[in-house]
Amino acid sequence: MTSAHAIPLLQARGLSFLRADEPVFGPLDFTLHPGELALVEGDNGSGKTTLLRQLAGLLHVDEGELQWRGQPWNRDACAGEVLFLGHQLGLKMDMSPRENLHIAAGLHGARDGRDAASVLAEVGLAGYEDEPVRRLSAGQKKRAALARLLLLPAVLWLLDEPYANLDRAGIALVNRLLEAHVAGRGAALVTSHGAVSFHGGEPKRIRMHD
Amino acid sequence: MPVLYALIVATLFPFALGPEDALLQRIAGGVVLVTVLLAMLLALDAMFRSDIEDGSLEQLVLAPQPLALMLGMKILAHWFTTALPLIVIAPLLAGMLHLPVQVMGVLMLALLLATPMLSLLGAVLVALTAGTRRSGMLLALMLLPLCVPVVIFAAGAVAAAQQGLPWVAPIAWLGAALVLALVLAPLACAAALRIALDA
Repeated sequence: MTSAHAIPLLQARGLSFLRADEPVFGPLDFTLHPGELALVEGDNGSGKTTLLRQLAGLLHVDEGELQWRGQPWNRDACAGEVLFLGHQLGLKMDMSPRENLHIAAGLHGARDGRDAASVLAEVGLAGYEDEPVRRLSAGQKKRAALARLLLLPAVLWLLDEPYANLDRAGIALVNRLLEAHVAGRGAALVTSHGAVSFHGGEPKRIRMHD
Repeated sequence: MPVLYALIVATLFPFALGPEDALLQRIAGGVVLVTVLLAMLLALDAMFRSDIEDGSLEQLVLAPQPLALMLGMKILAHWFTTALPLIVIAPLLAGMLHLPVQVMGVLMLALLLATPMLSLLGAVLVALTAGTRRSGMLLALMLLPLCVPVVIFAAGAVAAAQQGLPWVAPIAWLGAALVLALVLAPLACAAALRIALDA
């Protein structure tokens, strides 16, 4: 008998992905427990984004095994517990950050005691709540997308290049979000080229190739 | 935009064929039906395009809600914004082509059943081609054979009504097909979309 804490949130054994019979990455082995942060490292084209899309459930698992909370991974089991933030931010350009958050909260539900206004203030978009996203700068758009992380009740964050387009304060914001998430027994997988500094201990590292 | 297109096409017919009452009356039903369906085809391509481009479709697919239901709602919204305006101006188009007033009701009924069919069938094909760029041509080619029975039954009902024959049977067939599409198309659309994104 293992205790609930010992069961990893996500476990991959020999995970790989093939595109037209060409391996994109893998085989990869890693485990991720609640309260853990993993940094996905690799060069351009090494399959970091592909891995994240696979873990989100957008791509199928070709070879290897993927387990979610000790059970074989399936889409319905982890739906709503996983939040994916990719290169495309998933924001409707003609709607305001507030409306975009309302859509997201309508689909996923919201964390207790959180609402769009407070979350937007936290990511530094106070005063821009009702501006169409189209008119925001690239960094502000990114912040509007990051606000989703604060509002939605997901356990596992899959963040693809969360630092792109962000200024120094924005990078600090992402690090702060990640620290708070990990402290609250959430888990996150983050891809990034840039030098990343986490204050909450050394993150786990997943190398895409040796 | 589709409304303007339909208006232009229907207006051009009398100019091309001559303003002969009997001829226009005979073709009016068919012309309006085909015009409306083609105008819908114009907007069909855009059903999921912006959602794919800005990544919100991925978020929709990953949301813990039944995807088929959400896509059904999207198709409904698409029908409201593209087909409904066309149905509203259809009596105007038919009137320009001298369609008898008694037949107008049957034409409207046929359109009310045929346009949601096209939206539903089109959505499945749009979802299938979601991964490919510039899929408009492919979409039109794939949709054509699916449109044909819809046009045949809808136009058949209007023609029968015009000749004073019973027109309920083709309308009933359209209705039956619509019910079938209403149930199956969102499911097929969801499956097709998952496949299209999985690449």
